Order: sequence, then structure tokens, then C-alpha cells
Amino acid sequence: MDQEFMAQVKMDAVEKSKAPDRGTAAMQLKNVAVSFHGRTAVRNCTFDISKNRVTSLIGPSGSGKTTLLRALNRLHDLTPGAKVTGQILLEGEDIYRGDITVTELRSRVGMVFQRPNPFPTMSIYDNAVSGLRFNGIKKKSILDEAAETSLRSAALWDSVQSRLKVAASNLSGGEQQRLCIARALAMDPEVLLMDEPTSALDPIATLRIEELMTTLKQRVTVVIVTHNMQQAARISDDCAFLLMGEDRAGELIEFDTTEKIFNNPIDPRTLDYTLGRFG
Amino acid sequence: MSDIIELQHPQQVGHEMRAEIRRISERGRGRRQLRSRIMVALCSVALAITSVPLLLLLYQLFQRGLPVVLHPSFYTQLPQTPSLVAPNATGGVSNAILGSLVLSVYAAVMAIPVGVMVGVYLAESDSKLAAMLRIISQTMAGAPSILMGLFAFSFVVRALHVGYTALAGSFALAVLMLPVIVISSEIAVRGVPNTLREAGLALGAKPHKVSMRIVLPAAVTGIVTGIILAISRAIGETAPVLLVIGGGYINSWKPLDPVSALPLSIYENAKSQWPSLRTQVWGIALVLVVFVFVLSLSARIWASRKQQAR
Repeated sequence: MDQEFMAQVKMDAVEKSKAPDRGTAAMQLKNVAVSFHGRTAVRNCTFDISKNRVTSLIGPSGSGKTTLLRALNRLHDLTPGAKVTGQILLEGEDIYRGDITVTELRSRVGMVFQRPNPFPTMSIYDNAVSGLRFNGIKKKSILDEAAETSLRSAALWDSVQSRLKVAASNLSGGEQQRLCIARALAMDPEVLLMDEPTSALDPIATLRIEELMTTLKQRVTVVIVTHNMQQAARISDDCAFLLMGEDRAGELIEFDTTEKIFNNPIDPRTLDYTLGRFG
Repeated sequence: MSDIIELQHPQQVGHEMRAEIRRISERGRGRRQLRSRIMVALCSVALAITSVPLLLLLYQLFQRGLPVVLHPSFYTQLPQTPSLVAPNATGGVSNAILGSLVLSVYAAVMAIPVGVMVGVYLAESDSKLAAMLRIISQTMAGAPSILMGLFAFSFVVRALHVGYTALAGSFALAVLMLPVIVISSEIAVRGVPNTLREAGLALGAKPHKVSMRIVLPAAVTGIVTGIILAISRAIGETAPVLLVIGGGYINSWKPLDPVSALPLSIYENAKSQWPSLRTQVWGIALVLVVFVFVLSLSARIWASRKQQAR
């Protein structure tokens, strides 16, 4: 990686440091570990996800970023042999052992996946309000309003408002991903998890999603997994760096503001990674 | 590798290599073309061998069947037994046409809900029960169809005292259709990408809602195609209905009446001593073939329309 590029990455990160002090935590992770059939996939994860900030999870393949992210809205529940230990708190409540039901959790913690996955048999409108319908909301006025608000928030309303009844699969990849973001936003979640949301998109569509994320954080806390360090530097306020240990289990190496992680990390491995020396 | 470094003219090397590649491929071209032609010829022969019997069959079917089916009375009249005075008084097969329709409708009504539900369950569950059901349905799919007839005879006709009825026949056909529907539904549901299920779960949908509202609609093309194939297989089956429907010479849609069916009429007429009845067989066969053809054609058209709408 050339120096000019790295300088740009660092400047992006410095700009981020102007963000205010980390406020209250939306979610707290305390010594979280995920294992499959007794094999640890990721461990030692202790950090706070601050409200109205973008937290990025970075690290090479196999470091457990996605596994950790999926633990945050209990998507491992249906995987046979999966076990999550430690504590994950949402507004102070343990999401695995507290009173909160998995359905409620998932409506408060939304998810956007790596590949755009709108429901192929539904129209754009039906996709946008699908979460509300799954949760029993039928009143048309509420659905209409939620569809418009969420599509606007996802910067999609202007281009689709005249064809809401069209099948979602007619949209381009970038539009489909924004529809998936709208679908998650329609539930009015407190936290939005994004698993490499731009890895299947072209650079222009990627840019639009990134712009979207920076505006979204005013109303929702964003956690994003990304392979793209430039992206992490550009859009995230806080950054967690994970790395695969010798026993092939991922673990948290360092967590701090993005500015610190990219410019002045404590662990030399973090510096090596952000400088592009490996991974 | 070392040659290239010594030459120090990478572009020149590239040029020579390209020329060499072209030379070699030029040399083998004639041989490859000859081999390709032989393969095409062999395939054409194989095509001819397979299509000749099929064409002969269709030719005979239309040549002998068309004159029969062009008589309106073929569709409107009940069968008659020819006599020495009127050796050509065969009547029609209205009872068998109606009977076949009634049998397949009743059978579909019985088999579709159960079959689709079991198929979805098999696709979505890893339980021991699911594994057992899968083995059972695969075994049933390979079982001889006369077995379904025997089962319906001993269970519905005798044990339940239902008698020789459309109900017993459609039960036998439903048992025959069931594994086809189960297997094709399972395949269709398994084909739905997991990311869609996760998207639904991540929106807070309960697992049964994910199955009903996301997975089933996404799999519906495959499921319906399987259902239509099952119906078209059942409508042509003789063995399962042979023992149980009674071969009634009446036009009835009632489940507890004895009915006839197209394949059964073929079987009975073909055994007849009257040439006129034996000729009528071709007409019945033609009607049956048209039924099955229309069914599978509509399945294909429906599936491709559905695919385009995506």
C-alpha cells in the first residue's frame, strides 16, 4: 500500500477524532466468546458500543468479526452447536439471559447482510414494511408512513416512490441494499448491525451507502464489519481490531476510537494491520 | 524461466510463444474437427433411435384415436355393450372422463396439504422424525403402484366399509402422489437461500412466519410444478384404482359412488371380444395423453411466467 494512500486513511481517521467524547453505551460486551461444537471462534471481546456512533469491527479473514456481529442479535440461536458466553448488554439488559425475548431483541437490533437479500416475492413497499407485518402491524396508515420514512432515511424514496408495487428484484444491487437498510430502519431499531454491507457493491453504490451511514448515526447506533480499512477510517468513530490467534480462534486485540487505532495504537499488531503489512 | 531472463526481450518472447501456440493449434485442427463431426453423428443416431418408437406410438395413437374422439357421443354417452345386432354400439366414455377428473381432484385435495406441509417440515428440520419421514417417502416413491391399490382395498374398501367408491380410488391415488409432492416440496424449500431466512429472523419474525411468509412464497414455483407432475402421474395410473373404484357405469362426482377412470376403461376395453370396443381404446388413450400433456404444459408455462416476474 503506498504512502499517499495511507496518509489519506490517517487524515480520514483524524477527522473522525473531532467527534465528541463517547457518550453512553447502547450495547456493552463483557468477555464475549462464541464457540461452535466446543471450538472457539471468537473470544475476549470486551468493549462498549456507544450511542449514535459508528463502531467498526476490522481484522483479517477468520478473525471472528462476523461471528461476533451475529451474536449481537442472537442469529446464532438456530445454528446447531453454537454457544455464546460472557455478557452482551442492550441498555443494561443481558440479551441472552434477561427478560428480553429474541423477537423483541431483533426488532431493537436490526441487521443488514453482506449480500443484498430483499424478499424476492415481495414488492418494494412490502419489503420495506415486512418487519412491521411480521410483528403483527396491519394498519395501512402506519405501514404507509413507515414505508415512506424508512425509504427516505435510506435515500431511496425519490427513486422508487412511483414504483412501490414493483418487485424488489428489479432494483439494482445498490438500491436493493438500501432497501434492506430501509427494511431494517422501518422497525425503528436502536442499533443497526451491518455485515460488510458494501462488499457486493460497486464503488459508487458503496459511496452512497457510506454517506448514508454517517447520516444514519444521528438516529441509530451503527456497528459495521468491514474488510476495507479505508472504509473503517472514513466512516467509523470507534474501532475494534480482531485477529486470529494461534489456535485459530479470533480475539479482540484492541478497541479504541478510530483515530487512536489508525494513528496511535497500543498493540504493534494493530499498527501492522492498519499499515497493510499483513491481512 | 532462465531462458526468458537471458533473452531479455519479454515482448519478443511473448510473440514467439503466441506463434508457437498458433502453430500447434493449427496442426490439430483437422483432427479435432473430424472428432467433433463423429460425435455429432453419433448423437444424431441416438436421437433417431429414441424418437422412432415415440413417433410410431404417436402416429398410431392419432391415426386410430382421432376417428374415435371426433364423435361427440364419445364424450357424452355412457358405455354400451355391443351385441350381434349392433356390433358397433360402443357408446361413449363420459363416466371415465368424469371419473378421472373427480378422482384426481379428490386425490389432489387429500395429498397437496399433507404433502407440502411434510415437505416444508423435512426441509426445515433436522430431527430424527424428519429423517424417518424422508426415508419413508423415498421408499413410497419407489413402491409399485398396485401396492397403493391393495392398501386402499384392504383399508378403505374393506376395513372402513367404504366400498368400491371414488373415495377409495382417490385415496389410493393420493397415497401415490404424496411422496412425489413431499420430495419436490422439500427440494424447492431447500433451494430457498438461507440469507432470506436470516433476513426474516433478523427482522424479529418468528420461525413459523419465516416459513409461511418468506420461504413458502419463494419456493412456490417448484412446489406447484411438483404437484402438477404428481397429478399427471396419478391420472394415468391403472393399478391403484383397478381394485377399488368399482368401474361404475354412471356419471357421478359423488365421493361415495362407484366411478370409472380412463386407464381402467382402456384396460377393460382392451380385453373385450368386440373389435369396436378395442378400437375405442385408442380414443381413450388419446384423451388421456392430451390430459397429461395439457397439465405438464401448463405447469411449464406457469413456472416460466413466475420466473420472469421475479
